[in-house]
Amino acid sequence: MIGLSHYLFVAAALFCIGVYGVLTKKNAIAVVMGIEFMLNAVNINLIAFNHFMAPNHVIGQLFAIFIIGVAAAEVSLGLAIILSLYRQRHLVAIDEMDILKW
Amino acid sequence: MISLFYLFSAILLVFALGTVISTNLIHSALLMMGSFFAVAGLYLLLQADYLAMVQILVYVGAIAILLVFGVMLTRKGSIEESNLPNRYKGIGLLTALGLFGLLARSIYYTRFPAPPIGHPTQSILAIAQAFLLQYFVAFEALGILLLIAILGAILIGRDSK
Amino acid sequence: MNISVVSLELAALSIGFLIIIFGLIFPSFRSSKTGGYLAIIGLLSMLIGSFFLPASNTQTFINAFYVQDDLALFFKQLFILAAIFINAMSLHYLKPYTKNKGDYFALTFFALTGMMVMASAAEFITLYIGLELMTFTFVLLTAYKKQDLKSGEAGLKYILLSAISSGVLLYGLSLLYGLTGKLDFAGISSVFSLGATSPLVVWAIIMLLSGLGFKIALVPFHMWTPDVYEGAPTPITAFLAVGSKAAGFIAFIRVFFHVFSVYTSIFMPLLITLTVLTLLIGNLIALAQTHLKRFLAYSSIAHAGYILLGVIAYSKLGLSAILFYLMLYLFANIGAFAGVTALVINTGHDRIADLTGLWKRSPFLSVIFLISLLSLAGIPPTAGFIGKFYLFTEAIHQGYLWLAALALGMSLVAIYYYLMVLRTLLSGTNEETKSFIIPFSLRLVMIVSAGMTLVIGIWPGPFTDIALRIAQSFL
Repeated sequence: MIGLSHYLFVAAALFCIGVYGVLTKKNAIAVVMGIEFMLNAVNINLIAFNHFMAPNHVIGQLFAIFIIGVAAAEVSLGLAIILSLYRQRHLVAIDEMDILKW
Repeated sequence: MISLFYLFSAILLVFALGTVISTNLIHSALLMMGSFFAVAGLYLLLQADYLAMVQILVYVGAIAILLVFGVMLTRKGSIEESNLPNRYKGIGLLTALGLFGLLARSIYYTRFPAPPIGHPTQSILAIAQAFLLQYFVAFEALGILLLIAILGAILIGRDSK
Repeated sequence: MNISVVSLELAALSIGFLIIIFGLIFPSFRSSKTGGYLAIIGLLSMLIGSFFLPASNTQTFINAFYVQDDLALFFKQLFILAAIFINAMSLHYLKPYTKNKGDYFALTFFALTGMMVMASAAEFITLYIGLELMTFTFVLLTAYKKQDLKSGEAGLKYILLSAISSGVLLYGLSLLYGLTGKLDFAGISSVFSLGATSPLVVWAIIMLLSGLGFKIALVPFHMWTPDVYEGAPTPITAFLAVGSKAAGFIAFIRVFFHVFSVYTSIFMPLLITLTVLTLLIGNLIALAQTHLKRFLAYSSIAHAGYILLGVIAYSKLGLSAILFYLMLYLFANIGAFAGVTALVINTGHDRIADLTGLWKRSPFLSVIFLISLLSLAGIPPTAGFIGKFYLFTEAIHQGYLWLAALALGMSLVAIYYYLMVLRTLLSGTNEETKSFIIPFSLRLVMIVSAGMTLVIGIWPGPFTDIALRIAQSFL
């Protein structure tokens, strides 16, 4: 029988894959992809908790919809800035962005 | 049900791993799309039908497409080597594995209370009611946030010349 | 439904949209300063109106997920005050960077709305959306100087790092939801008080601590601060240092004084570790800075450490000391950043070396820097001394003598580096002897903030009374 913890393990694995992507990628767009995996892991968590722990309300699903909405906004804003930097300086790699030292 | 869960989880994790390992950004983007479909499959198994639809519409239909556009518009050098890892590869791997080990251990040792018996509500109706009654402020604020994102994308992305 | 609870948010949104719509109808409006004047007038009337709003724990909008208690109202007034100063500082600063000023002024209102939503949220979804609304608007404002290479880079770093930190925060929130089945503060704390500890609670606390710690720039989640502060337009840097940080603190206060009040034994050691790190690293790295905005960024990191002493004290007096410190921190920082703005307008640079010989070129600006930096350093008779005094004594009172001693030692280091900056400013000669032109609006901001710094320092009674009253009504 597939229980709550199965879903939590999958979500934790996805979250860690996202963390790995965020930490190790040069390209800003690839970093955004890693962030999307982290957010998806959160959504799986929320919906699994909602389904197994509290099926008679929908707060978990609701929160997931909010997160999806914010993620969409985040990607569009992030890409706009990435494109504008690319136009200015022909850059997409984060470690070449060194006018401001980290 | 059981086999479907393992199928979707396997697709999800393999594709997600492929996304972060691949050195070709286009491959990464396509694999990411596949993994988003698998997430929608998991939502269906969890009886979150509306969420599964939103997942496909927004993540696959909008976010992944947007990222592919981003990849195409910022081409530089060979696409084969467009997604190289930085010099923190080892540290990143250790961090991710360590985090997973600790999280998995905590999940394993947590005893969740027995699930209450309840009928899954008709999710779309309940979600709509929660949106417009209980979580009205957050809903409106999200609307403004999306407006800001549109405004920002135009202000920043527009060519200033 | 109680409209008065959301009246300030509605006012801020209306003014913001009004400025955008005017800009669309009259193209000349966008390039002129009129939007800024409209913004300042609107904010002033909001500030005056806010004193007539009822505030108590029973003031809720629709349900208990959105409240207007004394604490929320205090923070909202703080945000509005900051927004007034920021808009006044921006009037002349923006000229060389953009033709499109109208949208900039409108955006400050959306950031303000996000902060106010955070201040009133009594539930995590609303808190999160408010936080993201604030962050996104700040990203936009940070990247607003499109010709400036630093600005876009700072914007990208800010959005990537804040997205990562909110991913971590959300994972913590999802665990919290799983453990309690609720997302409102009162519901979660009532479930926790039944007493069920699981290793996942620790994870939730760690993840919430890092997500919120990012916003108030705690070490080791401070990496974005110096870069974003340097790249952003100077008035926006001031808004980040004052507004965004205060908004982070209201969330911090609500979450750790209310939601996790059962688990002090779990989060206190973590919080103390972060505070020690923040005090040490913030102050020591500030020593090596040559760039005025980076220097102030590290100083703001260090100040987050001092303010956290009040959270660690975990008492009414500790909370009131936090509120009092946030007040004086606002005036001191606005004064300092207004000074940097004047420097940028006149010289085009913002290095510490550019301050050389400032005393001869502009005694007025030098006095403003003197008062603001002395207040940040915590030297009497400025307000900073009283604020630090309250924070440290309350920490000692609650048994954290060693921590207060460390904070005291680090503020001695801080006095050293603030005095180094002041020495550059007062001594030395600059071949450039042209005297400074400081626009009237900027001059007014400086006079008010420096004046308030001195008033709070010399006559702190009324202000501590306010802080104490609000702390008492919250705890």
